[in-house]
Amino acid sequence: MSYEEKRDEIAEEVKPIVAHTMPFHKKAPAKVVYITIVFTIIGVLLALFLPTHMFPFSMSPEMHDAVLTFVVFTIAAAPVAALVYAIAAYSLIAWRKKGANNNEEPPEDGAPSHGSGLITSLWIGTSVVLVLFLLVWGMAELSAETAQQSNAIQVNVTGQQWMWTFSYPGTGVTTHNLILPEGRQIDFNVTSMDVTHGFWPVEMGVQIDANPNVIDHIAATTNRLGSFDVRCSQICGLYHAYMQTKGTVVTNAQFATWLASQGASSSSIQSYALSGK
Amino acid sequence: MSTIAPMLLEDTKLEPKAGGFYRHQNFLTGLIVGILSGFIGWVVSLALLQGSNFGSDMVVTVTLTCWVIGFNAGMGTFNAIFRWILGHDQNHEDELYAAGVGQGWKRYWKYCTDHKVVGTQYLVLVMVLFGVGGTLAMMIRTQLLSPNSRFMSPETYNAIVSIHGMIMIIATIIMVSGPFANFIMPIMIGAKDMAFPRLNAMSFWVVVSAVPPILGSFFLGGVPAGWTTYAPLSVQAPPAMDAFAITICTFVISVTVAGINTLVTVLTMRAKGMTMGRLPIFVWGSIIAGGLGLYAMPAFLMAQSALITDRVVGTGFYVAEQGGTGWLYENTFWIMGHPEVYVILIPPVGALIEIASTFARKPVFGYKVMVAGISGIATLSIMVWAHHMFTTGWAPTLADPFMLTTELISIPTGIIFLCMVGTIWRGSIWTRLPMYFLYLFIFNFIIGGITGIYLSDVPADQYFHGNMFVTAHFHYTLLGGGLVGAMGAVCYWFPKVTSRMLNERIGKTAFWVVAIGIQITYMAQFYEGFQGMARRVANYNALFVDANRVSSAGAYILMAGMLIFMYAIIHSWRHGKKASANPWHAKSLEWMTLTPVPLENFLVDPVVTGHPYGYGEPDSKPVAPEMPVPVSANSGGSH
Repeated sequence: MSYEEKRDEIAEEVKPIVAHTMPFHKKAPAKVVYITIVFTIIGVLLALFLPTHMFPFSMSPEMHDAVLTFVVFTIAAAPVAALVYAIAAYSLIAWRKKGANNNEEPPEDGAPSHGSGLITSLWIGTSVVLVLFLLVWGMAELSAETAQQSNAIQVNVTGQQWMWTFSYPGTGVTTHNLILPEGRQIDFNVTSMDVTHGFWPVEMGVQIDANPNVIDHIAATTNRLGSFDVRCSQICGLYHAYMQTKGTVVTNAQFATWLASQGASSSSIQSYALSGK
Repeated sequence: MSTIAPMLLEDTKLEPKAGGFYRHQNFLTGLIVGILSGFIGWVVSLALLQGSNFGSDMVVTVTLTCWVIGFNAGMGTFNAIFRWILGHDQNHEDELYAAGVGQGWKRYWKYCTDHKVVGTQYLVLVMVLFGVGGTLAMMIRTQLLSPNSRFMSPETYNAIVSIHGMIMIIATIIMVSGPFANFIMPIMIGAKDMAFPRLNAMSFWVVVSAVPPILGSFFLGGVPAGWTTYAPLSVQAPPAMDAFAITICTFVISVTVAGINTLVTVLTMRAKGMTMGRLPIFVWGSIIAGGLGLYAMPAFLMAQSALITDRVVGTGFYVAEQGGTGWLYENTFWIMGHPEVYVILIPPVGALIEIASTFARKPVFGYKVMVAGISGIATLSIMVWAHHMFTTGWAPTLADPFMLTTELISIPTGIIFLCMVGTIWRGSIWTRLPMYFLYLFIFNFIIGGITGIYLSDVPADQYFHGNMFVTAHFHYTLLGGGLVGAMGAVCYWFPKVTSRMLNERIGKTAFWVVAIGIQITYMAQFYEGFQGMARRVANYNALFVDANRVSSAGAYILMAGMLIFMYAIIHSWRHGKKASANPWHAKSLEWMTLTPVPLENFLVDPVVTGHPYGYGEPDSKPVAPEMPVPVSANSGGSH
């Protein structure tokens, strides 16, 4: 008997699928929905109340955006995660094989279903909508952040193993502790003298690599007085962990006074601090 | 049973000359020839290059290259090629010898072409690599127990961070593809062996030869640049970097060879009736991951070989002063780097789908959708690499398109979740150990996946990049997802690989300890990330001390769990209950043959008549009736 004949013979022998004997709880889908709702509510509450306890104080709209994105994306993802957890948990609780020696022999077979086109389409459709939302959200935020503001000032940042140097073009002032005026967009021009570093003024919520022979740009707007940390976020050799310093946001008047105390002439301070206006 | 070909069984006596040169070769000769060859390379290169600008880098490169070639020559990797050059081929008896016939446990130390031996060798190697990588991780966490820790110098710490990363990447790439795509996959498709058995043995022994250089890097000054080894720091690094690059180049050869072998095996060696539409999902996962590896890994080879030439002959691909740029390295690296995480993840996901179907006693939910989902992930993954470079300053205008492709990946990832929970839904759940790991995978991978969407968003990534949040995210996916899936696969196929049952009492203890350890360790690291702690730091501000202590405590728990799991494996391998041929009453082909699996796998060539997930369909049979389907442990007889 040829292989094809044998195969056809076997195909004929296969009877139509018989109804399996597993009990199906008619209320199962509804119960899963309830569990999903409960899980979602927990997720949303965590998203709303945890971030204030986890993130450092926001010092800029960029940092605020990062926190807000975290909250919004968590809320968007919560129902999906909740649904997956609910189905997995309900199935385990309702349909696991029970009994004393449940591990010796397999239970009788489950429902012989090979999938559902409707559920698959719904699932994929929902995820497409969610992805579109994430994308539009990200693009809108990004374009707002990269918009040039009229009051911007320039600050040059130079990384080297293992310290940061900041200078204020035109004033001749150079410092290792970043001082910034309040309420201004700061355009950081970032470069490196040796290897790649990562310029990360933490509470400002932005990051850019400092690459040798290249000037990278990143902008953040100061909207709160106070101090923040500047760290290196790109492993740069031996003392990478120690490559950090303090930054301080001061009022515009204090900023001008500080520049003068560092030896900048009053005309250069005038033209620098007004450069964006 | 009369059709058993007696020459295929292990106790067959071969004529004394069978095997030719293979008879004289094993792991020990590999070591001896490798060390000798490395020594000659060292002496010669030292004599020729002393005093030149790139002296020590050149010497290390030449020495380690000689070691790799010498080790493989000593193992027998090049035997067949030389025979062909000399004008003759190996005869049938030689082939049988090379397949390990009649050599008992010694074949595991030889260049053995039997895919089951190669799979077992890989399983042991993976455990060794995880042991090494895990020990390094414990040292990292011990250093981070307190700020200003004196446990290690920053130099040692950076070296350990780098090598922990790379060892774990190597281990995770081969953790399922190595043992199970070699041992189980050919049986699943009804093949007698892999398509290229000698290349299969080569893929294993080449990985083995790649391990000593990367461990040797600790004695060559240490790699200071993380496993990503961004240039120009890596160009300026001590000679340890050359050893690292040699390891990568060698490892890429192995992955490429293994990927081709997997693809060709599935495309050409399937049994009668095993159509592509009847392939188990694990086989689909193996070929998609293999093909993706063929795309990804050569980019790593390019990145690292250009790094070697930068260091050894001063080409300057990555050196700004010479007109190069570190962005070139970063691009080539991540063109490998992102597909590579799916090379790691897809095989365990495939294995977990097999587990879901077997232990929910249900057909896979949406077989075709699942295959499309895995293929979709693989396709998209080659278009997302620059999301690792959002903050590098390279091409800010490409932020939007890479944000799009990255977020699109969540659609096929969602399909994987749908198929997993869809398979469990209305199943009849048999709570054996592999099923535990499926549940842990679902729990962890949801967390790993969702934390990924924050990182895909540029404004949020501006905060989270280069921060412990990223560390926690990829450990949740690769450890909490990938490694947990691989542990499930080990539990699932343990009876077939070792002929013994895994001790589930010890295994379940290990499971719970591991599950809890993962949550504590990486939840604490997420918290460090929120607080703003940078990655890869040997020291940190007092602000982060609580989270770091919790994370270290979790890491010790995790390590304890892993050690218990390893104990379960070793103990059961030696003393476990004898396994029957099909202890899970599963329906795919690997359970339709004897345990232990005979050479060339099947006593009768299987004819496949249906898909492998016929649960709940009382009359469905995966194979034609003339094939004896063994049920008892004693129906074998090859031992």
